[in-house]
Amino acid sequence: MTSTGKKFDESDFSMFFGPAHPGSGNFSVKVDMRGERVLKATADPGYLHRGFEKLMEYREPMQNAVISDRVCVLEPLQWNLVHAEAVDNLMEYDVPERAKYIRVIMAELSRIQSHFIWYAVMSLGTGFMTGFNVSMGYRDYILDVFNLITGGRVYPAGYLCPGGVRKDFPENAEKKILKLLDKVEYMRKFANKENLAWLARFKDIGVITKEDAIKYGATGPVLRGSGVSADVRRDDPYEVYDKLEFDIPVYDEGDAYHRFRVGMEEIEESMKIIKQAVERLPKGEVKTPNLKPIVQFRKAKGETYVRNELSRGEGTFYMVATGEKTPYRVKIRGPSFSHMIPILERLLTGVDYADVPAIYWSLYQCPADVDR
Amino acid sequence: MKVGPVLEVFKNLFKKPMTVMFPKEVVEIPDRNRGEHHLDIDKCSSCGSCARICPNNAIEMVEVPKELAEKYPKTYPQVDLGKCCFCALCEDICPKDAIILTTNVFLATFDINTTIKPPIIAE
Repeated sequence: MTSTGKKFDESDFSMFFGPAHPGSGNFSVKVDMRGERVLKATADPGYLHRGFEKLMEYREPMQNAVISDRVCVLEPLQWNLVHAEAVDNLMEYDVPERAKYIRVIMAELSRIQSHFIWYAVMSLGTGFMTGFNVSMGYRDYILDVFNLITGGRVYPAGYLCPGGVRKDFPENAEKKILKLLDKVEYMRKFANKENLAWLARFKDIGVITKEDAIKYGATGPVLRGSGVSADVRRDDPYEVYDKLEFDIPVYDEGDAYHRFRVGMEEIEESMKIIKQAVERLPKGEVKTPNLKPIVQFRKAKGETYVRNELSRGEGTFYMVATGEKTPYRVKIRGPSFSHMIPILERLLTGVDYADVPAIYWSLYQCPADVDR
Repeated sequence: MKVGPVLEVFKNLFKKPMTVMFPKEVVEIPDRNRGEHHLDIDKCSSCGSCARICPNNAIEMVEVPKELAEKYPKTYPQVDLGKCCFCALCEDICPKDAIILTTNVFLATFDINTTIKPPIIAE
């Protein structure tokens, strides 16, 4: 064992975890090591910066809806929804009831497929390739339904647009969604099986206390895995979440394994929400009356701040309109930023190098969302 | 020894595989799938709405080849598939339903010049 008390040691070296590491996904962490021990970790974001905030200042709201789903590749429909709600607020659109239910169904399906990816990358991190293949295979069934409804497998291209949704559900879509839930249930059971290798790799690793989680701005499963019961869907309901019944899984342990368990248990809650929403789906219009494909902020003045519960935590849009065609200012707050920079740097300090992937993937990162 | 996993293996032997043998087999592509554009030039009124709404500026209003200029004297949309993000806003905004997105998704090419789709090709 090398001493960490000395200033220099012959076994000191620095290395990069990512951005070409499988699964680290366009994000890298520079780790200063002494032997096998990490002395200091420095997050190095910026590989995926596309400048959405500035891009959106030059585009009209409907064009922004199309690019809003690229903020995070892994949960595009939920980012669509946050953007749509921000524009709805500024333009004072009255969104029809059917559109609200469709928005909830699509956002929850997106949450499930995102959690499947979490299972897949956690498996990849521990060398459990079967888990990766099975999880990505079952995610594909959800993508098939997205393709049927939105016309795109991964990118819905602004399906949840300002003023409602772009197109109504096609025929038999409700039946197909309910049929899909049977497949999701199989994968959920598979993900909830106790895995001894995972317990050994993830339990008591990367512990973040309740106080620290709040201090560093954690949201979503990372915060709920540390014992704080906070969920925007319940605390500040949007769309029709106040009419639906669901539980919020919380664990007090705060380690990598329990953060992950929160995510896997959320799949069941999302399934409950989808079942209720499909049963109660009313008939009617799916767009605000007289909504045109061109939406401009000509009559809108003011600012809005909208927050939603994404699969990774709280995603928010701050938007200012000054009566021009395009928004005057857009600010996006993604959940992954606080997880990937302050929390990751703190949790990696002093751990063994073998635990770096376990901690990294347990924080449920999306590099696209960090860099924006 | 647990029987559960063994039973699972036997069940999976008789299940349909998740993957298909591309290109012999292709997964079903739904009607809504946003693929290659199709322009019905006779319907087009040359209003240019599609070029204005395109978020990536992939559509440009161009004149047709000289042989056809007499029949089609105005400017018509030319799509650069290399820039296109397949959002279908052009399809939504078209007042005459002249431009639609077909289900053709097999657009991979080795020649960069083939990504530009002119409104009409002179024979």
